[in-house]
Amino acid sequence: MATEQESQQAIRDSGRSGPYVAAVRWMESLSETQFAYLLLTPALLLLLVIAVYPLVTTFGMSLFADAIAGSANLGEFVGLQNYVELLTNEKTYALPSAFVPTGLSTGALLSSALTVTLIFTLFSVFFETIIGFGQALVLDQDFRGRRWVRVAIIIPWAVPIVIQGMIFYLLFQPGIGFLVGTPENPALLNQLGVIGFTPLANTADSLLIITVADIWKTSAFMALLILAGLQSIDRSLYDVARVSGASPWQQFKMITLPLILPTVLVAMLFRTIAAMRVYGIIETTSSCQTVPSLSCLVVTSFNQRLYGTSATVAFVTAAIIGVVVSIYIVKFADAEGGAF
Amino acid sequence: MGDVKLEHVTKRYDDVTAVDDMNMHVRDGEFVCLVGPSGCGKSTTMEMVAGLTMPTEGDIYISGTNVTNLPPKDRGVAMVFQNIALFPHMNVYKNISFGLRLRDYDDEEIDRRVERAAEIVQLEGMLERMPDEMSGGQRQRVAIARAIVRNPEVFLMDEPLANLDAKLRVHMRTELQRLHKELDTTIIYVTHDQAEAMTMSDRIAVIDSGQLQQIDPPLTCYNEPANLFVAGFIGSPAMNFVDGRLTDAGFESKNFSVEFDPADLGLDAGTDVTLGIRPEDVYLADERESVGDPTMVIDAVTDVLEPMGDEIFVYLLLSEDAETGMDAQDSPDQLLMSVDPDSAIEEDENVDVVLDRSRVHLFDTSSGEALLHGLVAPAQAEGVTETEAESDD
Amino acid sequence: MSSESRTDGGQTTTIEDRPLKRGPFSRWVENSIKNPQRVYRSMFYVVTVFFLLTTLFPFYWLVVLAVTPPRLLSGVGLYPPGFNPESFLIVFERVPFHWFMFNSFVLGIMTTVIVLVLASLAGYVFGRLRFPGKTPLMLAILAISYFPPAAFLLPLFELFTGNVGAVIGGVYIHSPDLFNTPWPMVLPFSALFMPLSIFILTTFYGQIPDGLEDAARVEGTTRLGALFRVIVPLSAPGVATAGVLTFISVYNEFFFSFLMNNGEAENWAPIVGGILGLQGQFDTPYHLMAAASVIGVLPVAILVIIAQEKIVSGLTAGALKE
Repeated sequence: MATEQESQQAIRDSGRSGPYVAAVRWMESLSETQFAYLLLTPALLLLLVIAVYPLVTTFGMSLFADAIAGSANLGEFVGLQNYVELLTNEKTYALPSAFVPTGLSTGALLSSALTVTLIFTLFSVFFETIIGFGQALVLDQDFRGRRWVRVAIIIPWAVPIVIQGMIFYLLFQPGIGFLVGTPENPALLNQLGVIGFTPLANTADSLLIITVADIWKTSAFMALLILAGLQSIDRSLYDVARVSGASPWQQFKMITLPLILPTVLVAMLFRTIAAMRVYGIIETTSSCQTVPSLSCLVVTSFNQRLYGTSATVAFVTAAIIGVVVSIYIVKFADAEGGAF
Repeated sequence: MGDVKLEHVTKRYDDVTAVDDMNMHVRDGEFVCLVGPSGCGKSTTMEMVAGLTMPTEGDIYISGTNVTNLPPKDRGVAMVFQNIALFPHMNVYKNISFGLRLRDYDDEEIDRRVERAAEIVQLEGMLERMPDEMSGGQRQRVAIARAIVRNPEVFLMDEPLANLDAKLRVHMRTELQRLHKELDTTIIYVTHDQAEAMTMSDRIAVIDSGQLQQIDPPLTCYNEPANLFVAGFIGSPAMNFVDGRLTDAGFESKNFSVEFDPADLGLDAGTDVTLGIRPEDVYLADERESVGDPTMVIDAVTDVLEPMGDEIFVYLLLSEDAETGMDAQDSPDQLLMSVDPDSAIEEDENVDVVLDRSRVHLFDTSSGEALLHGLVAPAQAEGVTETEAESDD
Repeated sequence: MSSESRTDGGQTTTIEDRPLKRGPFSRWVENSIKNPQRVYRSMFYVVTVFFLLTTLFPFYWLVVLAVTPPRLLSGVGLYPPGFNPESFLIVFERVPFHWFMFNSFVLGIMTTVIVLVLASLAGYVFGRLRFPGKTPLMLAILAISYFPPAAFLLPLFELFTGNVGAVIGGVYIHSPDLFNTPWPMVLPFSALFMPLSIFILTTFYGQIPDGLEDAARVEGTTRLGALFRVIVPLSAPGVATAGVLTFISVYNEFFFSFLMNNGEAENWAPIVGGILGLQGQFDTPYHLMAAASVIGVLPVAILVIIAQEKIVSGLTAGALKE
């Protein structure tokens, strides 16, 4: 019969057995909440094993002393002693640098992991925001070849960190290029007095180079986020301003800036978090001995099998990032509350 | 075969009861409209039949099988959606054949069925088009073809015409009726438009606040509404309601009374009742002769006239201090009357009107339940003359 | 237009102006004051050229060093002192650079596939379902991706080297020794880069009208079937975006790429190992490092050129979603 009603067959089919059919029927019978958690299970399981478990374990390990000898990974339980020693700089024997600065002199600030990381973060995020804003304003214009300018601006962001490190290593390695020479044959930057003759082995110079490298690579990230914000601004607002006689600078100050501010703050938060984890560019361009960032300290002590110390630094690093993020969120909530 | 039965079906969300203890039996081959205001639970009811929403309590049977826990794909239903819901990444042929391909029909069978379905909805020659290349009406036809191609036992249609323009909507209504005649399949159709429900369905299920108010053929719902809600919802313009009281002499309200003996009609004097009368059952006193059984004359002043071409709606004010305005219809001092287009009637004119007693509805004001339809005592065959005499006084 | 006519007018009609003997610069200044639009325009070009130079010069420098013959690698200026394209071939002789790149690709593709599948399920849940605990879960997932990888390093290293065990049913079971396989990198990459994809896909999946999903289910798919037959195909641009971003992120990654293998190509070390492996014990072949870097950049550069729109939309969607 042409009008054989398939649903009869469908209902019969659904009564069929077999593990696949059974699984499908079981899944279809779940409520929305059950189904939601079922589908989230793989993702949550991955995060549990790869992120939550290590975080908890790291904290646990930070409560034990380093193993002094033998095959054990950890020494005896010491409670919060590692934290106390770290924050009072008594751990320096185990680390390539002090954790907190021993004074306020430039030398002291540059030999402390905490201040080195904060200086790097502050300068890189500040300049990335300025430059990213500039790039976004350029990309927001309509001009021929915009597509290619955009590619040129994005590409550094897509460059692998190891290659980014290699680029700046090759730019600043003394002798090979025109930027840094040798004492017998000083080159451009030496003559200008910007950096010394061994910039990649000198903390101040290396920090400068690494900050520049980071700005070069990640300004594009800022630019893209700000560009998205710019393009969501209602164009008719500018017509209104122009009719009211506002100059382009006034339009920028009175319309663009206030409307883009929340986006810029979000982008800055993202960049701050990433900058505080800096490691790869240091390892490839200079060295963790020269520029001791927080992550550097973790890896260095890890490589020396000082697991208790390493775990402590790792956890403190995470906590510091957490504090900075909280500060941002509080400030951001203020800024947003004020804007509306 | 193809009948749908809901038994004590309830759907509760966190703090809202969307459907409350619904019992309904849609017979095989029947065209039933679920009608009600938005948020009344009609769409939720349909989604539960389709299997897209699980009932909190109760059971649903399709063709005698309990499908309460079956997923939509195993229920043998097809559905047409309000937003048409064509897959934008598939052409017409792929859209129509989607369900068949999922069920691994062989290609020839799919071709044959798709062509037949396209023919029924007059879409021949458009199978290669993409949905965004079609007009709203054509897309709606594709959606219908997608539903009929599987020969489902039950069609579910969720306001399928709501997004079409008025002219196309009327046209598609006729087509759907033709389709139902041709396919002879059970159709459950959700709409908020009572006119759509009246014109198309075998029976109308009026739903309000998650509860089934009445399920009856359109004319029964129109002539014998089960309660105030149905009376007010079915029919356009809506029925006039006048709040009053039942006395020994009949119905008394602020502006007029209708005389009868409540006892003859099996009613108790002293209860608060609402009198309902449709605009077309209100007549000018001059035309009293054409009314079989008119009431006493009611004094009124015309307010606004709305000529519709085939009739004129006349808004009547029953008292000097009558309120006018937005809620005019709900005011006890107003009455809407429909008169012949060539009646000589002016605005702000004193007129006398009568009601057709056989078309008067009485409702219990507090419960809303209908007490009776037509002031004709069921027990008295000759009562007609008696009441007529009474009103002539 | 108006500026030109004014200029012409100024030059031809006013005789008093002539004794001033204005040079081209002062004329330019005068025009600028009369017509600020022009200043903005020229400022714009200056700034654009500046950005292009600063972003592209480092790549140019790599090419200069790569083609410079090794004996001339000293005080190299703005153009190569010789031409020696052989470096691009020698890279492959010195280390199996193609193998390292292949490893990078495999790691990128494996991670991308895992992330897309898991993030599709999660994006569907967050974008289309309503359930208790939704917002806290989303925030938790976001928070995890911002912990420094250093905080995960120790336990993960122990886990992947088979040094973590537990007594299950009376038997002591070791975690499998996965070191020198792709997994110690792929799994952390997946966990780290999944949140961004989840947010991108949540946005895209959430925008598909409910009716389409319902229609698919009534027509005969399961809920999961509707996801993969209707929602995912309709969100193809979003899925592509998430895929491209994940792949680039993996290709860029340093921390786990560097620490979770022994740097040998046969043990799944990605290009990080290849480039750092060029540094010999007795020499530092700058030209080869530069050549390897140029080769290593090419795949992502091509990807950026092809998929720039997707990258832009993906980054902004992921970030602004917060």
